[in-house]
Amino acid sequence: MTEPTDVRPITRLLIANRGEIAVRIARTAHRLGIDTVGVYSDPDANALHVDSVDVAVALGGSTPAESYLRGDAIIDAALATGADAIHPGYGFLAENAAFAQAVIDAGLVWVGPTPEQVTLLGDKVAAKRAALEAGVSTTSMIEVVDGRVADGVEVTYPALVKAAAGGGGRGMRVVRSADELDDAVAGASREALAAFGDGSVFIEPYLERGRHVEVQIFGDRYGNVVHLGERECSIQRRNQKVIEESPSAGISPEVRNELCAGAVALARHVGYQGAGTVEFMVGADDLGEPTITFLEVNTRLQVEHPVTEAVTGLDLVELQLRVAAGEPLPITQDDVSIDGHAIEVRIVAEDPAAGWMPSTGRIGRFTIGQHGSDPSCPVRVDTGVRDGAEISSDYDSLVAKVIVHAPTRAEAARRLARTLRGSQITGIRTNIDSLVAILGEADYLAADTPTAYLDEHPDVLTSTGPTGDDRVALLLGAVFALEAERRSGDRATGFAPSGWRNLRTQGQRQVWVEPDGTGVPVEYVMNPQPVADGATLWQASVLVGPWPEPDDSGALGPDERVERHVRMLDREPQGAAIEIDGRRHRVATEVVHHAIGRDDDGVGAVTVHVSSAAGFLSLLLTPRFALHDAQADGGGGPVCPLPGTVIAVHVAAGDSVTDGQVLMVVEAMKMEHKILAVGDAVVAEVRFQVGDRVDQGDLLVALDHGEEAS
Amino acid sequence: MIAVTIGTVIRSRLDTRSPEYHENLAAMQALWDGVATELASVPTIGGQRYVDRHRTRGKMLVRERIEALVDPDTPFLELSPLAGWGTQDPVGVGSCTGIGIVEGVECAISGSDMTYRGGSGNPTTWKKGSRFHEIARENRLPVIVLNESAGADLPRQADLFIQGGASFKDLTQLSKLGIPSITMAFGPNTAGGAYTPGMSDYTVFVKDRGTAYLGGPPLVKMAIDEIVDEETLGGAEMHSRTSGLSDYLAVDEMDAIRITRGIVRHLRWSKLGPGATEPDDPPLYDPAELLGCASADVRIPFDIREVLARLLDGSRFEEFKPLYGDKLVCGWGSIHGFPVGILGNNGILFSEEASKGAQFIQLCNKRDIPLAFLHNITGFMVGSKAEQGGIIRNGAKLINAVSNSTVPHFNLMVGASYGAGNYGMAGKAYNPRVIFTWPNHRVAVMGPKQLAGVMEIVARNAAAGRGMEVDEEALAAQTAGLEAQIEHESTALYSTGRLWDDGIIHPADSRTVMGMALSAVHSNVVRGATEYGVWRH
Repeated sequence: MTEPTDVRPITRLLIANRGEIAVRIARTAHRLGIDTVGVYSDPDANALHVDSVDVAVALGGSTPAESYLRGDAIIDAALATGADAIHPGYGFLAENAAFAQAVIDAGLVWVGPTPEQVTLLGDKVAAKRAALEAGVSTTSMIEVVDGRVADGVEVTYPALVKAAAGGGGRGMRVVRSADELDDAVAGASREALAAFGDGSVFIEPYLERGRHVEVQIFGDRYGNVVHLGERECSIQRRNQKVIEESPSAGISPEVRNELCAGAVALARHVGYQGAGTVEFMVGADDLGEPTITFLEVNTRLQVEHPVTEAVTGLDLVELQLRVAAGEPLPITQDDVSIDGHAIEVRIVAEDPAAGWMPSTGRIGRFTIGQHGSDPSCPVRVDTGVRDGAEISSDYDSLVAKVIVHAPTRAEAARRLARTLRGSQITGIRTNIDSLVAILGEADYLAADTPTAYLDEHPDVLTSTGPTGDDRVALLLGAVFALEAERRSGDRATGFAPSGWRNLRTQGQRQVWVEPDGTGVPVEYVMNPQPVADGATLWQASVLVGPWPEPDDSGALGPDERVERHVRMLDREPQGAAIEIDGRRHRVATEVVHHAIGRDDDGVGAVTVHVSSAAGFLSLLLTPRFALHDAQADGGGGPVCPLPGTVIAVHVAAGDSVTDGQVLMVVEAMKMEHKILAVGDAVVAEVRFQVGDRVDQGDLLVALDHGEEAS
Repeated sequence: MIAVTIGTVIRSRLDTRSPEYHENLAAMQALWDGVATELASVPTIGGQRYVDRHRTRGKMLVRERIEALVDPDTPFLELSPLAGWGTQDPVGVGSCTGIGIVEGVECAISGSDMTYRGGSGNPTTWKKGSRFHEIARENRLPVIVLNESAGADLPRQADLFIQGGASFKDLTQLSKLGIPSITMAFGPNTAGGAYTPGMSDYTVFVKDRGTAYLGGPPLVKMAIDEIVDEETLGGAEMHSRTSGLSDYLAVDEMDAIRITRGIVRHLRWSKLGPGATEPDDPPLYDPAELLGCASADVRIPFDIREVLARLLDGSRFEEFKPLYGDKLVCGWGSIHGFPVGILGNNGILFSEEASKGAQFIQLCNKRDIPLAFLHNITGFMVGSKAEQGGIIRNGAKLINAVSNSTVPHFNLMVGASYGAGNYGMAGKAYNPRVIFTWPNHRVAVMGPKQLAGVMEIVARNAAAGRGMEVDEEALAAQTAGLEAQIEHESTALYSTGRLWDDGIIHPADSRTVMGMALSAVHSNVVRGATEYGVWRH
């Protein structure tokens, strides 16, 4: 090992990033006695990452271009605050060679590979050439020059056309036959030019049902290179990773050795310094023999680095800082051993069932793994949010990473699923239910996980969490949390049994709306009984499902609901032990009133967040009354159920509409709400257009029901 | 902090495991089951055909409207649900009245049942409505009317036309007293019925549904030969935009209810009574046992303290004069935190009982404490000893006291209420704020056997006076017939059918019902009397 030269200890580190990675870098820096400087955009002024550093500098703006991509401002901030190094995290400026050079030129330490390495490896064509030169086992690459493949070069199908620059699946086309090739090349090139400013593309064989496996490498300026094993990141949506693990459960020791050796060879070939990831696609040929395609090198710390940390026991940020400071790698390959299995899930503010539609808004409560968690079995949570955090469309949708390390993959999956079921994130939609579904799905557990896994298992995306009585328990948790609140708020007759009647014709009827917009009617009759010592046994008869409605003849349809006998064995302001037909469920509840006013006059709305060992659910109570504007010209019409945005208008003034016809679609809380005509009518006025913001209670479409309206 | 409570705990002596208890319980249950069967028939008394037709028009039944009106999870105390029982009018008389909570305010709520003869009023409907207005006025409860009525049931006009007009007087007099009235017009408000919105402080008309006119299109054609449609004559839009009879136009029934709740919010209603001041802890003995406490057969005596042990907060009772006049149990306790003076019968009234009761009533009036009369009384003592002891003079004291007392009175009919005992216990004629009845209740001038026996003696004396032989067979038949008639006319159902009470309740609900009634009376001032009639000392 070469003697260290020119070691520049880092004493104050500027973290040029936000969110969970900024928090995570600061944690290691502080452990090493390094002071930290943060940066923040206007909306992030009170974000967790800003509170996680010693001092922070305002960048202004809200979009990345206005804030975290302003390299000059970041270098100025470092100089102004006496920082001696900049860690870029991932994303933003992490793989920007010009920025890396500017940092170095400013006399600061750049925590990352050299600008030259960033440039070289950032070009996929150049990187693949380097890989081939270094002897990395990979399928071949066919270069495309001026939109054409050189004469005499045989393209085998299926093939993949890829952009040389950028990533994230843009500028990528799968080609299944020769006649599709020209169009695919042209299309990919056009897309790449638009996205990355560089239209160059290349072709490589396309691996059906391949796995994404990547190798963590580390190098220092003295030529030392180690690998820290591999990660499998095959569970992806639109080329974005969702679940990552280490080691890969789907490759043979031979393939593992080949990947790791190749990654190290490439790193040595380019003299790689710092943390990097060499990404491969591992498939099988017609004979079932493994086929390996080198994809690219990411010249930064990866989002999924915690799984490597878990199985190696190393702190990758610490290694980055030491290497950047000029220290030699403190470990050799022999020091690296892999212990057990780690899985990371990415909780994102997206709705998988709605095509991964982003969800924005303010997080009410953020807790991971609270319910029934065992402090002796810790899980790692890397996050940049906390209660009250705002999720905006300006930034990445990543909310949190949850990592479990266990002796076996199966155990890690089970513990991670339990942790997720015990988690609560309110105010936004997330993919937690889908993650739980994947972690319990047979093919996943059998490690049959090609990158097409989610396409092959669409059911996991529409998972809505707990089912059966577990779900009924959550519903009733919400029902009776609100019931208790209402009874304690009855200052006139609070002493009376809940909903008492001396001539009863029906119970208390409510419709709760699930996060996907499904309405769940529930009807209950409380029958509280005094028991010993002044206590009360809270019991109720509950019917879940639609109550009979009159048909055309006015007669009520059959009642198909099954009566459930419910007892609340324990009631507290924040939850209850609910027994349904003899089976006990412990639920935790939080009642949230959304706006000034009352739920039952149509002004405000009530959501109850409820969780149990089976999972978490946010339920919105349908207000008893809609706000109407009968005095408006043209009379009545449908009003907006929730604040949102008009995304479709299906009628125009003068149109005749029939009862139940869709007039308009309003997207509210990321749900599409169909606005229906009630009764036959003529459209008097369409009051909003596509893209308009609409508020709860706004009359959306004025309908004239005419003289003969019924 | 330890609350300072009234009274000491009553120790129950009732053996709820004894065969006698269970026998009585079963008999009481059977009586209640009979009442429950009658109650179950009321909501669809108009007949399935008319209920279905009502629903095809997108309309809610009257009790569905009330369910939508009252605050979720709050109690609703329906009044006189079996009014009309045993009369030529339908059970429930085509209306629903009660006390419910709207936007946190105890309101008097009344709605008409359109499914019975188009919501038209019969003589008992007017009686029930009159009692409803009385309860609203005495207890200062805002009135909400869910109206939909074809007007008077014309074939029965002779029995209702003259007195029926008082309901409009009631509404405006409530208004004068500052008690607001809100009328929702869900359907027709025809003829005299048009004055229900007309006399209300606030009106809400449902678009395309609510109408009001003095004469409908057929009558207008008859009277002045004008051909006119309903909307032009008295539609919701017309009254909202042109006549001004409608203050608020609602899109539909639910919207009318929403608007009404908004009106109640702006009342900023506050109660004038002191409200609950005592700890509201449940009795030490299960109120469910009240069903088995009182005797199903009113001829079998029971200890009224067993009822109190299951009715009063913490079973606590401070008994007044326990060693004097012990057949009238008097004392203080509380129900759901509301202080109450109790007078309960443990037998007939003697002079001592009567004068003790008079003193107790005066004390409660000095202290502004409402009075609950628990009736199980067969009357005042008779006979020469009683008369010579001044039973009339002492009874007069009790009647003077109950007549001129101004604290709210409640009657809970837990057994018999016969003869002048009913008067001494502030019965119906003495204007108690509410009267609720247990299913075993019997009320009459005297017990059926006694009455028939008296009449038999009178008949024998008359025959003897005329020197005629008594036709024993005819007299026996006549006596038996009379006894059966009086028996029938003494029952709780007969009583409630004629509005002698405000409803038959399940005994186990007594705490809830009394609590709601006590809470309602605290909407008004609770103040005792300072003056009485001349005492016959």
